[in-house]
Parts: sequence; C-alpha cells; structure tokens
Amino acid sequence: MTAMPSRGGGGRSGSREGKPSTRKKFFVRRRKVCKFCAEKIEYVDWKDVKLLQSFIPERGKILPRRISGTCALHQRKLQTAIKRARAIALLPYATD
Amino acid sequence: MRLYDIVVLLTPDLSEDEAAKVTADYRKILADGGAEIVRDESWGRRRMAYPIGRKREAVYHLFVAKAQPALVAELERRMRLSDQVLRHLAVRSDEETKRAAKMAERIRKKHAKRPPRPPAPPTAPAAEPEPMPPSGGEA
Repeated sequence: MTAMPSRGGGGRSGSREGKPSTRKKFFVRRRKVCKFCAEKIEYVDWKDVKLLQSFIPERGKILPRRISGTCALHQRKLQTAIKRARAIALLPYATD
Repeated sequence: MRLYDIVVLLTPDLSEDEAAKVTADYRKILADGGAEIVRDESWGRRRMAYPIGRKREAVYHLFVAKAQPALVAELERRMRLSDQVLRHLAVRSDEETKRAAKMAERIRKKHAKRPPRPPAPPTAPAAEPEPMPPSGGEA
C-alpha cells in the first residue's frame, strides 16, 4: 500500500512527486477576474453590442457570474445593459 | 437638463432619404425644444436580433442629448404615434455615467495612494544571515 498523503496537509504534501497522474483530484482552475474591473470599464454601455455579446451564450441567456467571473456590482450593471439592448433588438431574448 | 440616450428603430421600408427625413424631424424637435444634442449617429440598416412587426431589419438612429424631461416625453409620444417607428428607447444616462466617473475616480485615488511604498524598510538589510559555520565539533 502506498501511503496516502494526508488530506488536510495544505496541499503541499507529496503532490509533486513522480507518481504518474493516477489521481485527478486537482486540476488547475484559472482564477476568474471581472472583465469590467480588469479593463476599468465603469459604465457598461447598453449600446456596445460587441461587449455585451460576450456575455450572451448561444441560447441568448445572460451568462451567470459564477461562470463569467464578473463581480456583483458589474453583473448588476451588465444585467440592465443587456435588458436594454434586448428591448431595441440589439440582442435576442431567446434563441434556439 | 438631463442627459438622455435615445434610440429609434425605423421601418426598413423607408428609403435612405425618407429615413433621413424622419430623423431630421426628431432632430428638429429636440433642437426647437431647447435640447443640446451631444451625439447624433446613424447606425444604418441593421439586422435585428428578433423580428418586430414581421420585419427582420431596421434603420437605427441614436441621439444623445441634454434635454428637459418634458421634451423627451413629447418626443417619445410622437415616436409612439408614428407608423415608421418600429420601436424606440429613451434612457436617462447622466446619473449612471456620473456615478461611473466617480467610481473610476475613487479607484484611481486608491491606486495612487498605495504604490509609494516606504523606501526599503530599514529593518531588512542590516541582518545579513551569517553563513553557517561548518559544523565541526572542535572544542
């Protein structure tokens, strides 16, 4: 039996040893950053279709922030911006 | 006076000249009503994301203007009555942009305040780690 590295060991125990990847417990998760914070876009313009489009997946729904990584404040602004853009048919309400 | 973003969608049945005439009418209403037009852009014929009134495209036009609320209300009323307007949207934008500018300012200040770190903390460089004497048990 091979010794199991202890679970609570802060992740530094024996992960880098030569053992081929039998365990897929850890995969590198890229840290998501709010796009608007990163690019210092304070005013989310509802006329900027190209920007809003990047938050609209195929179905036409608004991309949740757990996926996009947008911060709460900007997600709220994004939400109203998308809804306005929908009203004048710049973006779809739904597609299939 | 408040800042408004006003977008109008005109029927694609209009020729270019006709569309220009309609937007000119609205421009005139704004100007006559004492509004200050900041932006006045035609986006031209665009495909809409979904059909409105069986039409798949529309002629888009954007006005950004400083105007009295009553004037915008009047403009919207006329747009609603017009058969050539498929849809319109007028949104007040001065508060949003002002708030955004304020936030940008705050962020900038925060960043400005932080960087000038105290020049090299005086504690660090003095204590140079002494090289470990080769451990030899010589008494």
